[in-house]
Amino acid sequence: MKKTNRIILWSSIAVLVIGSAFAMAKLANKPQAVENGSNLALTINAISDTENVKGNKEAKITLIEYSDFQCPACAAYYPLLKQISAEFGNDVRFAYRHFPLPQHKNAKIAGIAAEAAGKQGKFWEMHDMIFENQRDWAEEKDAAAIFANYAADLGLDLTKFSNDISSQEIKDKIDSDYKSGLKAKVNSTPSFFLNGKKINNPRNYDEMKALIQAELQ
Amino acid sequence: MFSKKTTIAIAVLSFLGLLDSSYLAAKHYSGEIPPCAILQGCDIVTTSQYAEVGGVSVALLGVIYYLIVFISSIALLDSRKDSLAKLLSRFVIIGFLASLWLIFLQVFIIKAFCLYCLFSAFTSVSIFVIGMFFLLKKPLASA
Repeated sequence: MKKTNRIILWSSIAVLVIGSAFAMAKLANKPQAVENGSNLALTINAISDTENVKGNKEAKITLIEYSDFQCPACAAYYPLLKQISAEFGNDVRFAYRHFPLPQHKNAKIAGIAAEAAGKQGKFWEMHDMIFENQRDWAEEKDAAAIFANYAADLGLDLTKFSNDISSQEIKDKIDSDYKSGLKAKVNSTPSFFLNGKKINNPRNYDEMKALIQAELQ
Repeated sequence: MFSKKTTIAIAVLSFLGLLDSSYLAAKHYSGEIPPCAILQGCDIVTTSQYAEVGGVSVALLGVIYYLIVFISSIALLDSRKDSLAKLLSRFVIIGFLASLWLIFLQVFIIKAFCLYCLFSAFTSVSIFVIGMFFLLKKPLASA
């Protein structure tokens, strides 16, 4: 091969490799397209009385999470959201909605346990314990027994807890959360809606904080 | 020596492998917390304990591997050296074995599939097959 051809060949290869590396990095970091109809935003953002809400109920900002107790990513977001509630509890009401994914066999019973604790006013306490100990129950055959132990630790009335676990009302509530998620085109957990708009999952606390502060202004 | 067409085929396949693995590597290092998807697959595979070897992302190892194969195939187009063709044919055995291992992990251990990883297995197996044809055909041709 002639020297000039050779130079052309290798420099185009270099440009090709470097260019495609940049393109791939950009593609990988591209935010997902988010669709938002205003009607959808209104229905998503409507918080009913039976929902599990943390923070000032009259707050201007509503942050909704569709979450799966058995999803490792949801457990990873848990401390971040707790910090948001601690810092912005007055300005943000945070709602937890169930979106138990079919591949997580203990996700639904975890949601049921949290709701049953909620019947005794301790939804968030159970929610915290479930996330903090996700590794202990995620793959267990008898996760329900583990949740009963958490209920005992929280000082719940265990008879009522076990009755509520088998109640249809709680199952319906979880199903209805799941369906509302499907309607909002949730296809992965966690999915966040800030004032009815789906947001790309923030990568860390600061990104989440910035989104909330932008909404506050 | 590889024919020109075969060499170009290796270059194209390794370039596709390079694009694929750089995408996964960029995802891996983007700092994003990979969510759990309804259609499970990549999220499970790429967040499993097998996605890293000694703290290095498997995808990044893939990038290095495909880059070496790609550059070598271009060098072959350039220099047409028989020794380099032989060396490359042996080198791609590494990619083949790595792909076998990763497919084994997806089928039997993780029990989930990632399309990007399967595509990489396709490119590396194809390159391996080309390499083996070359290595095994050689003695017959010279006989």
